[in-house]
Amino acid sequence: MSPKNTNLRASARQEKTFARFTLGQRWEHAVLILSTFTLLLTGLPQKYREMSWSQDLLSTPERLELIHQIHHIAAIILAVEALYHLGRAIYLISRRKLSAAMFPNMQDIRDAWHMLQYLFFLRKDKPIFGKYNFEQKVTYWFLFFNFAIMGISGFIIWFPVTFTLFLPGGVVPASKMAHSTESVVAAIFILVWHFYHVHFERLNLSIFTGRLNEKEMLEFHGREYQRVAGQPTVDQNE
Amino acid sequence: MTMRNLQRQASWLILAGVGVLLFSFLTVFPVNARPVAQETEKFCLSCHGDSTLSMTLPSGEEVSLYVSQDELDHSVHSNKGIECEACHNNISGYPHPRIKYKTQRELSLAYYQTCEKCHSANYEKTQDSMHAQAAAEGNLDAPVCTDCHGHHDTSAPDEPRSLISETCNKCHTDIVDAYKQSVHGAALLEEDNPDVPVCTDCHGVHNIQDPRTDAFHVQSPELCAGCHADKELMDKYDLSSDVYSIYKRSWHGVDISVYKARWGTVWHDSAVCTDCHGVHDMRKTDDPLSKVNSKNLLATCQECHPTAGPNWVDAWTGHNEISLERTPFLYYVDKFYTSFTPFVLWACIIYVVLQIIRSIADRVRSTLS
Repeated sequence: MSPKNTNLRASARQEKTFARFTLGQRWEHAVLILSTFTLLLTGLPQKYREMSWSQDLLSTPERLELIHQIHHIAAIILAVEALYHLGRAIYLISRRKLSAAMFPNMQDIRDAWHMLQYLFFLRKDKPIFGKYNFEQKVTYWFLFFNFAIMGISGFIIWFPVTFTLFLPGGVVPASKMAHSTESVVAAIFILVWHFYHVHFERLNLSIFTGRLNEKEMLEFHGREYQRVAGQPTVDQNE
Repeated sequence: MTMRNLQRQASWLILAGVGVLLFSFLTVFPVNARPVAQETEKFCLSCHGDSTLSMTLPSGEEVSLYVSQDELDHSVHSNKGIECEACHNNISGYPHPRIKYKTQRELSLAYYQTCEKCHSANYEKTQDSMHAQAAAEGNLDAPVCTDCHGHHDTSAPDEPRSLISETCNKCHTDIVDAYKQSVHGAALLEEDNPDVPVCTDCHGVHNIQDPRTDAFHVQSPELCAGCHADKELMDKYDLSSDVYSIYKRSWHGVDISVYKARWGTVWHDSAVCTDCHGVHDMRKTDDPLSKVNSKNLLATCQECHPTAGPNWVDAWTGHNEISLERTPFLYYVDKFYTSFTPFVLWACIIYVVLQIIRSIADRVRSTLS
C-alpha cells in the first residue's frame, strides 16, 4: 500500500477540522440567542404600542403584564451571562491567559482597507484573515457595547426610584430613550450585518459545532490556517 | 253724475282698504306685541298671593303655598306667557284635588316630572346622569330639575356664569370651596372671566357622570386639553399649548392613552393631569400652594412613588421639549441617536450590498472563464 493511498483513506474516513469555539463559548452563544430574541420579541411590542401587530399581541392588561415579566426574566438571564463572560475575561487576564485574538489591532484596519478596495473592484484578491476577521470583531464589540447600554439603561428604567437615590433624575428619561432606540439599532445590526455574514455569505455553523473544516479555514481564515500549520504568514501587501 | 258716482265708489274702496289694513294690524301683529295676559296666574295669585297661606303635610312639614309676584316676574316661563297649569297640570279650578303626598320632597319629586313635557331632551339626559343613578339607589336628596333651576323663579342658569358654581354649591360645598381657591375659580369670581371652566364645563350639564370611574380617569386629560391645547386661548394667558401633546408622549401619557383607547373600563394608576395639579384646586405653577410648585413637587410625586428621593423630580421632564438647559442627559442621548441610528442602518446595508455585488461579480467571472 502506497503512502498516497493511506492519506486518501484517512481523509475519506475523517475530514480534517479545526477547533474554533470551546463548549463554554457555544453555550454562551446559545444563551445569548435565546435571551436576546426573547428581549426583542417582548420589547419591540412595548415600543411600538400604537401598531396593530403590537396591539394584537398585547391584547389585555394581563398580557402586557406577562410580557413585562418575560422581558425581565430574559433580562436577568442575559445579565448573568454578561457578568459570567466579563468575570471569566477578568479572571483570564489576571492569569495572563486571555487570548488576544478578539482584540482589535492594526491588522484589522489594514484588512478593512483591503476589503474596501476589493469591494470597489480595486483589488482582485480578498484579504486573508486570522482567527477572527475584522467583521467578526466589529460584531463582537458592537454587541458588547450594545448589551452594556441596554443592560444599564434597562435596569435604570426597571428600578428608577432606586437608581435616582444616588444618580441624577435626568438619567431616567435618558435611559428610557436610550433603551428604546438602542434596541432598534441592535435589531438592525443583528438582522442585517450578523445574519448576512453567518447565513448568506456562507452558512457558518461553527458557533454551534465548535469546528471549522479545512476548506472554510483556507478560504476565510487563511492566516490562522497558516499559523496552525506552522507555515510562514503571507503579507498580502508585498 | 257718473263722475261723482265713480269718485264716491273710489273713496268707499279706499276707506274699505284702510279698514282691512287697520283690522289686520289690530288682529295679526298684536299677537306678538300684546303684553302677556296671564289670566290664570292672576286668578291663582288671588289666593296664593297671600303670604300666610300654608298647609301641613302628613309628615308634619308645613308647606308654604305662597307664590310671590316678584318670583314670577323673574321666571322665564311667566314672562313667556306659560301659565301655572302648564306645570300644575292636575289642577283645573277650585276646589283643588286632595294632595296625596306625605312629604314636601315627595311633592317635588312628583312635580318636576312635568318639565319633561317641554324639555324632553334635557330631561332624558338627566336620566343617564350620576344624580339619577343616586336617586335610583334610593337617595331622595338626589337633585331633580327644580333643585338646580328653581321652580317659580326659573331663570337663565348661567347669568352670571358664577351662578353655576353657586348652584352646585348647594350640595357640593367642599368641592366648590376648593374650586374657588383654584386659578379657575378665582378668575371666575374676581373678574367673571369667560374662559375659565365652571363646574359644568368639565362635568357636563344634564348627563353628569361619576368622575371617579376608570373611564373618566383615562379620559380626563382630554377634558383639560379642550382648553389647554388651544393655542389661541393659551397665548392669551401666556401658557404653553403643548402641555397635552408632550404629556401624551410621556411615560404616564402613553400608558393612559393605551388604556383609554383599549381598556377604558380597567383602572390604571398612571398619573393624569389632576393627579399632579389637583382636582378642583389647581393653581398656577409659581403659586407656593400649587402641588406642582418646585417646593411641593417631590411630595406630589411621593403620593404614587413613596420611596422616591429628591433627585426623582428631575426624572420628570415636565411639559417641556428636550433642551440642553432642562434635560441635558436626554438632550445628548437624543443628539447621539439622531445620527447613530441611521449611520448603523446605512453602514450595514451599504456594506452588505457591496459584498453581495462583489460576490456575484466573482461568481459570474469564474463561470465565464
